[in-house]
Amino acid sequence: MSEKHESTSLVKTLRPFHVWALGVGIVLVGEYMGWNFTFAKGGVLGSLLAMLVAGAMYVMISLCASELGSATKLAGGPYDWARLFIGPGAAASVGLAVYMEYIALEAADAIVVAFIAKSIFPELQVFPVTLLVIALLTFINYRGVVAALTLNFFLTMIAFIAIVVFFFATAFGTVNIHPEYLFQGALPNGMIGLFAALQFGPWFYLGIEGAAMCAEECKHPSRAVPLGQQAGMITLLIGAAMTLYLCAVLIPADTLGVSVYPLFEAANNSGIFIFIALLGLGTFLTCVASANGCVCDSSRSWFALSRDNYVSSWFSAVHPRYNTPYRAVIFTMPVAIGFAFSGFLDQVITFSIISGLLCYVLIPFSLIRFRKLFPQTTSKIRPFVSPLQPYIAYFAIAIAITILSTLFWGYKYNLIFAFVFYGVAYFYFSHRHKSSNIENDWAEMGWPLPKGSESVKVKTEAIGVGDE
Amino acid sequence: MEMNNQAMESKYHRKLNGDTVLIVGMLALLVGVEGFVIYKILAETWEISGGFFYLYVIFVGLMVVIEAIGCLSVRKSIKTHMFEFRYYD
Repeated sequence: MSEKHESTSLVKTLRPFHVWALGVGIVLVGEYMGWNFTFAKGGVLGSLLAMLVAGAMYVMISLCASELGSATKLAGGPYDWARLFIGPGAAASVGLAVYMEYIALEAADAIVVAFIAKSIFPELQVFPVTLLVIALLTFINYRGVVAALTLNFFLTMIAFIAIVVFFFATAFGTVNIHPEYLFQGALPNGMIGLFAALQFGPWFYLGIEGAAMCAEECKHPSRAVPLGQQAGMITLLIGAAMTLYLCAVLIPADTLGVSVYPLFEAANNSGIFIFIALLGLGTFLTCVASANGCVCDSSRSWFALSRDNYVSSWFSAVHPRYNTPYRAVIFTMPVAIGFAFSGFLDQVITFSIISGLLCYVLIPFSLIRFRKLFPQTTSKIRPFVSPLQPYIAYFAIAIAITILSTLFWGYKYNLIFAFVFYGVAYFYFSHRHKSSNIENDWAEMGWPLPKGSESVKVKTEAIGVGDE
Repeated sequence: MEMNNQAMESKYHRKLNGDTVLIVGMLALLVGVEGFVIYKILAETWEISGGFFYLYVIFVGLMVVIEAIGCLSVRKSIKTHMFEFRYYD
């Protein structure tokens, strides 16, 4: 498939804790802010249901991603899975969707970091700080993936521990809670609110599938990807439940739905200095960790698209000294700055969610196709066998489509624009790659020919002999 | 040589146990936290949520059971391939 690889391969040094740090680092910011829009739609009961439904979907998707990531061991993640098992049109759509999802999130995170910095040091300006954050994280990712993800590990760990400590202190009675808030804000918009709240459910876990995108840089991907990804998924499920409870019993229902930093606000309402400081620090660190992970994942997606000539192959160069896809990393900077300074960030973020949901339809579908094309369970093809397949893959697709449909209320134009954008990408790249006649090189991956293609190949060879 | 193999085998099993303890510990925390949070919220809002509480039970059950089976599969996969791919060297 790849024709113009410019230089050496990516360095293989990452371990399970790096995979955990990449996945949780990107997502944990969604538990510090953003998830509370579920509260505005459906109250505490809508928010709880959205958390559980989205949680069930992400558990299924993370199992699909674990199997696909440990099998293919490629940097493109969802893009490479779609390329190998569905086709070029779907691959390009998913590759672009992943790129958009992460780069928009990076821009949003950098802006929030700048706002937090400004609230601490009022003399600072938001835009220059945003620029500085994006530039600094790009430089760290340019220098090396191990340094970038080790930094993410520590930032994420501190932010997660802050939630855990605050939760247990509250559960054991150190903090005065208000259980009456739970009843007051139970279901403000009736049963329709339960359904409407689903559209923001993915905020709790959006981006966890990105953990598998460092598979090509893992020392032992068949252990690191499933272990790191599942540990990350459990971490997020725990964090989501703790966050929801803490905020619901510490912030009145009418203000929780519109809060900018709900966890920090909950800590403020507790009135205990140590928690205010801890959750303030957590909010700041989780934004940095998320932006850092987004640079890593979006650059890998762009690198993979470039390696297969979907975009200019100039971006597929690997740094001779740092073994990073440095041109793809540097290219994240102008795009993220463009998003950050566009002034339509809420629209961009909604586009990011829609892009993510498109991936959640195509990742399980890639797994279904993978199982059909390669039914063999050997250590070379499928070192990790995800359980309960393909039933959970079908179920995940059904939940993703249901959540996508709820976006029609309030985000109709974003949804239509996204469908048109990815539809055009699908047909353009399908047509372009049909004419270029590039085929997957299964032998390069050490795999046999997929099921059903052996007979086609024999028939083609027989016709060739007849012609001679 | 045999001593070396034995030492390596015991090291591998020790490290596998470490992975197992990590996963089991996190799963136990997950069950405890989800159970606590769902119980507290449903108990406090029972007058409203009593009519559709089964939705929460279905989805939390799905989530925890599938995740637990998934974690068992991860352990099984590591145990099967740990010597072949030299996971703990």
